[in-house]
Amino acid sequence: MKDSIQMVVVLSLISLLSGLALGGLHAATHERAENNILKYKKIPAVADIYEVLAGELPPAQREALEEGLLAEKRYVELPDFEEPLLFFVVRKDGQPFAVALEDFGQGFGGDLGVMTGFEIESGNLVAIGITTMAETPGVGTKVREEPFLAQFHGMSPDTVFAVEKEGGDIDAVTGATVSSQAVAVAIGAAAKLYADNRDAILAAIDQVPGGEQ
Amino acid sequence: MTSLVREFTKGLWDEIPLFRIVLGLCPALAVTTTMENGLGMGLAATFVMVCSNGLISALRKIIPDEVRVACYIVVIAAFVVCVEMITKAYFFALSESLGLFIPLIVVNCIILGRAEAFARKNGVLASLADGLGMGLGFTLALTVVGAVREFFGAGTLGLVFGEQVFLERPFGFLQSAPGAFLTLGLLLGLMNLFGKLGRKRKA
Repeated sequence: MKDSIQMVVVLSLISLLSGLALGGLHAATHERAENNILKYKKIPAVADIYEVLAGELPPAQREALEEGLLAEKRYVELPDFEEPLLFFVVRKDGQPFAVALEDFGQGFGGDLGVMTGFEIESGNLVAIGITTMAETPGVGTKVREEPFLAQFHGMSPDTVFAVEKEGGDIDAVTGATVSSQAVAVAIGAAAKLYADNRDAILAAIDQVPGGEQ
Repeated sequence: MTSLVREFTKGLWDEIPLFRIVLGLCPALAVTTTMENGLGMGLAATFVMVCSNGLISALRKIIPDEVRVACYIVVIAAFVVCVEMITKAYFFALSESLGLFIPLIVVNCIILGRAEAFARKNGVLASLADGLGMGLGFTLALTVVGAVREFFGAGTLGLVFGEQVFLERPFGFLQSAPGAFLTLGLLLGLMNLFGKLGRKRKA
């Protein structure tokens, strides 16, 4: 009897202490981790979309652009979502020209995130930028390169967002059908998200910059 | 003192994980596509191994035998989650390239293996030395496998030479899982060959 009590007590205590320690560490590192994702994944993808509009920038200007994009992040409450949706305002000559939002597709190595820019006037795609991916280096990662990405410039949102093999309109990267399909699915999801919530998203453009969720 | 040194150094050659005790293959084969990933994964596992070995050894007298494996797993899992959170916050690039394999250190059998085979029977200092030696041995092995696969499979060696490309048409299959087995097998063969030659010279 004494043994079994000791078993329960020791295991419970170890679990409890571990839990407490991890909770503390999470609280201490959580914000930094979120900022990393914003800074190294989402903002560079938005900057890629900017560069399609404005032409390629030298490294120093690109850095300044990424810095400035922090002020272009907006949150909008949508009825069907628990968390507010994060999106970015893309400007041309200082005026809001497009909005960029992120969605995901299932790639070869887990979720593949794509930031898609939609022109405000026409609803056409401006360009896309890859945010997160864990695809096979040298194969799936080719979806990050120009020949594949260029096909999305100015594409209509009514395109069937699937690779040709799956009956869609997207040209896949040779040998990387799964990754290409993931990109297509992510864009399709973003297009639907944008189409369904266009008014709410556009209304949030004039929100005070830096407004936190 | 000599025994501490011995506990430390055995992990570096005589009982080097991966090559001698062929444990922990799953993450080893999956992440070693580049030298940098191999090194990062190795260091993460080393941290977990040193901490868990130390703590388990310190608690060895109060952990009842019947629930010891459960206790070890809780301790190991806690340290792994620590590593995960710390890499996400402070070593973002590494956490991106290792992805899911950091949380999977929990089920890396080397770590549980050292807890079960060593830490529960030995003192804290010896267990720390054992964990550090085994961890660094694991790191060394992963780094070498990663370097071979990156150099011949992708034609680069990013950690040392940056963007420079050495092979214009690399053997791409080394980047996939079968290539990992092949690399591991060849390196193991080489190690045995050197071991044999070394023994002959002594004799």
